[in-house]
Amino acid sequence: MTIGPLAWFRRLRHADAWIYGTMLFSACLSLLASFVLSIDAVRLAANPGVGLSCDINAVISCGTVALSWQAQLFGFPNAFLGMVAEPVVITIAVASLAGVRFPRGFMFAAQVVYTLGVAFAYWLFYEAMFSIGALCPWCLVITVSTTLVFATLTHVNIRDNNLYLPPRMQQAAARFIDADLDVLVVTIWLLVIALSVTTRYGSALFG
Amino acid sequence: MGKQAGRAPRRLGKARVAGVVIVALLLVAIVFTIVRAAGDDSGAKPAASGPVVAPSGAVDGALVVGQAGAPVKVEVYLDYMCPYCGQFERANGDEIDRLIGDGTARLYLYPLAFLDEMSGGTRYSTRAANAAATVYDQAPDKLLPFNNALFAHQPPEGSTGLSDDQIAGLAGQAGVPKAISDDFDERVFEPWVAASTQAAFDAGLGGTPTVKINGVKFEGDLYTVGPFTHAVTEAAK
Repeated sequence: MTIGPLAWFRRLRHADAWIYGTMLFSACLSLLASFVLSIDAVRLAANPGVGLSCDINAVISCGTVALSWQAQLFGFPNAFLGMVAEPVVITIAVASLAGVRFPRGFMFAAQVVYTLGVAFAYWLFYEAMFSIGALCPWCLVITVSTTLVFATLTHVNIRDNNLYLPPRMQQAAARFIDADLDVLVVTIWLLVIALSVTTRYGSALFG
Repeated sequence: MGKQAGRAPRRLGKARVAGVVIVALLLVAIVFTIVRAAGDDSGAKPAASGPVVAPSGAVDGALVVGQAGAPVKVEVYLDYMCPYCGQFERANGDEIDRLIGDGTARLYLYPLAFLDEMSGGTRYSTRAANAAATVYDQAPDKLLPFNNALFAHQPPEGSTGLSDDQIAGLAGQAGVPKAISDDFDERVFEPWVAASTQAAFDAGLGGTPTVKINGVKFEGDLYTVGPFTHAVTEAAK
């Protein structure tokens, strides 16, 4: 029996290799962005004069995001959190690709902590858009990549029934994933972000 | 049981169709906002084109304030949208007033406009710089109060800036006669602002605020009171 490309893709999408592979990719992207932002923050701290100007070549911003209080909510640059958290995700992804299966409680804990991280990333995204009013390209990379990691982590945890959901909810969630509606939700979500960025900064980016 | 199993996929199928429709609508909306944003420049407020007219008393791109015999030449390059220019001004504005007043310094103010893209298509940098040039042209002694007022009410980077009426209102607060602020709309000095911005860049300006004392870039702390004043007084000795 031959299978169509769609069925083939669906089978691939729910396979460990795809799930953990994309998780690895998104986590690496997030780590890279955190790294760049951390270096910027350290450089800024060592040399307060450096960032305190509007560079004529920086069309995007005057670096106001990095200097806002929101950028150091816990007294150190937020990007440090990404440097701490993303390697854990990378480890989970690599170990899982190698065939390790983590206990249910472990994956549940990962889901809880990462959900907090995503909430924090979105709070920052909101603040940058509406309070600080400046666009920060690497921050956007973090917003998108943490969303992707969150989506794959949730996908695999629902697939493997790791979330201690009541049976009915678990069944509904599994059906939702099985019907690939999560792909649509994530796509819509990312497009909403893209739309809010183009609406808010369109004239700066394309004007 | 069989019925239920049949109904669920159908409902999910509907959800899938709805999702695809939403994706398509979002894509259309994104393209629409991009196209609209790209067309913004030719929209409501095109850059004034015309001959470069310098405000009377201006030296090249600078609005000059202070006694000709003052020993120290202070040059300030700014953009009214630049948040750090606001910080510098709010920290040192009074000191600059004082140093000019007691004849220590002569101020060369370069109002530039390179952050126009940061004001949602309203070209705030250019409008504010044109207003400053207009004030200087007709009432040079009101330039500093107006300059201070613009920075005291500086709009955040990325906002749509202050409206023309708000700028005129600040001019009024700074003691600029209404007859002058009515001329802001003429945008007479916009070509001059554009030309002096370009000239400053061609001369190697890296960013704003840039402050020069007797032609030498001041590298000290611009955002607390003291270091700048100290450097100026040292240069006067």
